[in-house]
Amino acid sequence: MSEASAPRDHAMFDAELSGQVLNLRLLRRLLRWIKPYRITVLVSSLLILIASGLQVLLPVIISLVVVDHVIMGTDQRVTPDLGMIDMTDWLTATFGAPPLVAACILYAVLHLGWAITGHLHRLTLISSVIKGLRDLRLDLFRHLETRPSSFYDRVAVGRIMTRVTNDIEALYELLRGMGTLIGEFVPFFVALGIMLAVDVKLTLILLLALPIMGGVTMYFRRATRQLFRLVRLSVSALNQNLQENLAGLQVVQLSDRESHNLERYTEINEHNRTLEIRSMRLETVYGAFTDSMASVALGVIIWYGGGALVQEQISLGGIILFTRFIDMLFHPVVVLGEQTNILFRAMASGERIFQALDWDERIHEPEHPIRLPERLRGEVEFRHLDFAYSPDAPVIRDVSFTIAPGEKLAIVGPTGSGKSTLIRLLGRFYDFDDGHIFLDGVDLNRIHTRDLRKRIGVVLQDFHIFSGTIYDNIALGEASITRARAQAAARTVNAHEFISRLPNGYDTELSERGQNLSQGQRQLLAFARVLAADPEILVLDEATASIDTETELLIQDALRKLTAQRTSILIAHRLQTIQEADRVLVLHHGRVEELGTHEELLAKKGLYYTLHTLQFQDVSEAELDALT
Amino acid sequence: MIRSLLRLRTFAAPYLGTLVLGILSFLIARVFEALVPLFLARGIDSLAAGEHALLIPVLGIVGAVLARFAVVTLARITVRKVGLNVGFDLRQRLYECLQAQGLQFFNRYTIGDMMTRAVADIGLIQRLISMGTILFVILVFAAVVGFSFMMALSPALTVLILPPLPFVFVYAWYASRQMGVASRDVQDRLSDLGAHVQENLSGIRTIQAMVQEENEVRRFAATNQSYADAFYRQARINSAMAAWMPSLTSISSLVILGYGGHLVLTGELSVGSFTAFFMYLGMVVQPFRVAGFIVNLFQRAAVASDRLFEIFDLEPEIPDRPSGKAPSQISGKLELNSLHYRYPGASDDALRGIDLTIEKGEIVAIMGRVGAGKTTLLKTIVRLLDPAPGAVLIDDHDVHDYPLAQLRSQIAMVPQDPFLFAEPIRANITYDEPERALDAVWQAAEAADLRQTIEDFPRRLDTIIGERGVTLSGGQKQRATLARGLIRSAPVLVLDDCFSSVDTETEEHILSELKALRRGQTTILVSHRVSTARHADRIVVIDDGRITEIGSHSELLARGGYYAELERIQREGALEADYISVGTPA
Repeated sequence: MSEASAPRDHAMFDAELSGQVLNLRLLRRLLRWIKPYRITVLVSSLLILIASGLQVLLPVIISLVVVDHVIMGTDQRVTPDLGMIDMTDWLTATFGAPPLVAACILYAVLHLGWAITGHLHRLTLISSVIKGLRDLRLDLFRHLETRPSSFYDRVAVGRIMTRVTNDIEALYELLRGMGTLIGEFVPFFVALGIMLAVDVKLTLILLLALPIMGGVTMYFRRATRQLFRLVRLSVSALNQNLQENLAGLQVVQLSDRESHNLERYTEINEHNRTLEIRSMRLETVYGAFTDSMASVALGVIIWYGGGALVQEQISLGGIILFTRFIDMLFHPVVVLGEQTNILFRAMASGERIFQALDWDERIHEPEHPIRLPERLRGEVEFRHLDFAYSPDAPVIRDVSFTIAPGEKLAIVGPTGSGKSTLIRLLGRFYDFDDGHIFLDGVDLNRIHTRDLRKRIGVVLQDFHIFSGTIYDNIALGEASITRARAQAAARTVNAHEFISRLPNGYDTELSERGQNLSQGQRQLLAFARVLAADPEILVLDEATASIDTETELLIQDALRKLTAQRTSILIAHRLQTIQEADRVLVLHHGRVEELGTHEELLAKKGLYYTLHTLQFQDVSEAELDALT
Repeated sequence: MIRSLLRLRTFAAPYLGTLVLGILSFLIARVFEALVPLFLARGIDSLAAGEHALLIPVLGIVGAVLARFAVVTLARITVRKVGLNVGFDLRQRLYECLQAQGLQFFNRYTIGDMMTRAVADIGLIQRLISMGTILFVILVFAAVVGFSFMMALSPALTVLILPPLPFVFVYAWYASRQMGVASRDVQDRLSDLGAHVQENLSGIRTIQAMVQEENEVRRFAATNQSYADAFYRQARINSAMAAWMPSLTSISSLVILGYGGHLVLTGELSVGSFTAFFMYLGMVVQPFRVAGFIVNLFQRAAVASDRLFEIFDLEPEIPDRPSGKAPSQISGKLELNSLHYRYPGASDDALRGIDLTIEKGEIVAIMGRVGAGKTTLLKTIVRLLDPAPGAVLIDDHDVHDYPLAQLRSQIAMVPQDPFLFAEPIRANITYDEPERALDAVWQAAEAADLRQTIEDFPRRLDTIIGERGVTLSGGQKQRATLARGLIRSAPVLVLDDCFSSVDTETEEHILSELKALRRGQTTILVSHRVSTARHADRIVVIDDGRITEIGSHSELLARGGYYAELERIQREGALEADYISVGTPA
């Protein structure tokens, strides 16, 4: 079953993806998440067409109906009015309203129609894309949630987190931008059509401005891209310096480095200001330039329009129409310029999201898993187990030992000797195929991890507290753990007392990572959680952090109750824990160095004895080797 | 709000002239902007009259546009630069203020909080100046200039288009404030979402070990949904604003269309002016779209200002006011006279009258339970905590008489927490004086038993330590910080329990080296190990802020007190009784 999974380059996950090109494949793939909402998108598209049509009719009423038809009285109709004049005439004829009033009514109705259809278009578009992105984010989260430990060992949590937060966020930004662009560009093309119908030559002259603006935008983008990157770097240098200075302030003060550090900070701050000012200047000039383009176009329209008017190719209203359309023509390009950065950022984010979704590293589950019996006896056997995280650095070497049902085994050894790896392999957080682990005689590789992990209760050093109530944290969504059972468990492990002193008892909301509990209280809570789940096997990675004496006594007592009648494997740092174990296993360089009772091993005057004299402190393998 | 913002005036003062100049330029820019419709109107009128005097209107438009471009660019750059400069000054000030803070400060504030002030709050004030002022000025000036021009063209029409406008402004105000609430909601939900993912991923091992993946996905779905909902609400308000703002404005447009058209027909208004009115209307109304945003910006900047001045107003925790009478070289005699210390806000003294004289060249070990007051005592000597006047004398001068810089450079303290900077190991050892010779660095490393460790590193002294480099073990970190203290060969060396993660044998080795190296110099060390303390000339046992035992190793053994008991326990290796308190940091 266990085909060796190809070694992966996790650095790839951390590598910076550029996403400089408009990647159509990527966009197509994104569309898959929009697909379930395609009908809404279709409705939205129809609505924008209607809205755009209504929007361009408004200036037509002002210029062609009021100026040309009503005021100037020209009826030559050199310019197509899209039936607006007939409509006004019809209103006048039917209701007897004066032409100006009729035009006003028409204007009001069309305006209202535009406002409503436009609003509905935006709502439908946004709601469908929001739903799509919501689904995408959930899919991504679900995918990451089930990646194995080998993935989380290698990749920084921050990197993974930004996929779910910032990268999806960039797509939301893209959506916002796209919405704006559609709202700008559909009227743009409708207006363009009308303008071409009114005067081809003038329209083409005005369109000349677009490549100019496009060129300037491109130039601006190129000029600023590098600069923006430098600005970002200088900002993070600024923050990093401050952060480090604060973290080490006591050392700074003891070393009398204040003025020296201030000088260094001033340098960074000045560098940042120089860059900020430079990029601000460019942005300001660019912004003012795009603002002005439309106004210059007004001059062009008057100049050219005057000539055409003489030749009766355009009406006065036609000229005014052009002046009213100018914004519709230029604004989209400005918006496009603003949106390109977002677009490219979103491309890179899209790539990162799909890279994460395609990352199929997994624990291999057996094809035909053996179902474990209702209740295990709790015998664990390691047989000639070898394991390495990377091929050239073995961590576990030929480990064999058996733990009898109900036995308490303490594992000790220097940092890096393989203690944590051993218990991780027992929970099958890594695939292994060199050697075996048996649980009540069943090969671990033939058990589905879901089934397996329900039987092994793990209390890790940094036991995780979920935000939610105390009760939620004990029951962990397991329906069979009633409040009574949770309370009973808490009582047994001495957690009940501090819980009942909390403002809302078992219903007290725990803040992020349980920061409103002390280290010792969190440990007790973790014990209650395990006890309530009542697994056949207990695995404990004892915390090294200091805990006050009183709580320490409670913890030791709770541990005694927790391990009673239960197969327990304890990575121990406290002498008391070790002494109370049935046997002690000393791990060194991944090998079982010594195995026996506390007294036996002390008498042996070997590695255990040395560790004992070192008070089981945090020593590295190298440091220990130097001593023995 | 006004008062909070006014406090910023000291920071704005150096740039006040520039700021006023920039703001006035905006008024000029609005005038140029308003000239464009005027010239356009003249052009149209000339066309309507059948004349073709277009040169002046066209040149007028182009000229006005160019002038506006120039003035606006300059004005914006001027004002934005003021914003960046104020941001710069605020950051400098914050940094300086923070450097003068001490232990009390960090009891009240977290580093994360300070980072938020440095990044977000200063950013807000920067934005207030470079964006808020501009938007506000534009809003006011555009209305003033726009109406003046309209009045000039047709007072009657101007008066008639006014009535709907208050509704536009009120709606704009209302909607953009709603928008502010909605955006903040989106931000909040987003940070909830971030916190959720962060919390989840950092507990992923527990989650998988407890088979909680499904549950977590369900929980996340709820967070995810509430973000999507908030986003939709914001989009809806935004979209409604985009629909109703122009619709309300269009009432005024209708007035221009109907009544203006009527005036044109009666000959009281030219066609050109009729067209220009539409443009002026846009000019007046557009800036109001962001009215609520502006208010929001001012409000948030006021809060940011308060938060910054909260830090600026803090007095330096340890005032540096040397008398000038103290000698410039400390020889190494220390005297504590009935030293009391009480932490601010505590109900009890941490030190309750310590009397102790340490002669030059003496080695003194301080022992005692966790929380007995050992570290507090050491900190008063280098004034990380400030003792009462006369309580701590160095070479017979009050500790306050010495400049802080001298005090801390001649009394080298190695703190308990082995803090290292994410820099090369060499920079860490020579932190107080980066220009030290290589020989000195190796010597210090040797004395701290760190030479071999460094030589095993691929880049030796240039090896970067910390997150982005080599991770050191607890013992290695302690030895590195020890080297940082030793390199200064200060007349007084203070070691605060900095061997706790070093094994006994290495410690033994370091201490014997140290004794030879520091012959004739004063050394004070805190330890939990008798094996360490026995090297000292005198051992001082502190309990509950008082000295309970004092004397040499053999004297204290003979006394049969705490020290003797500790010696027995540690000798027999039966550590149950005190294992918890021995070797754990305070």
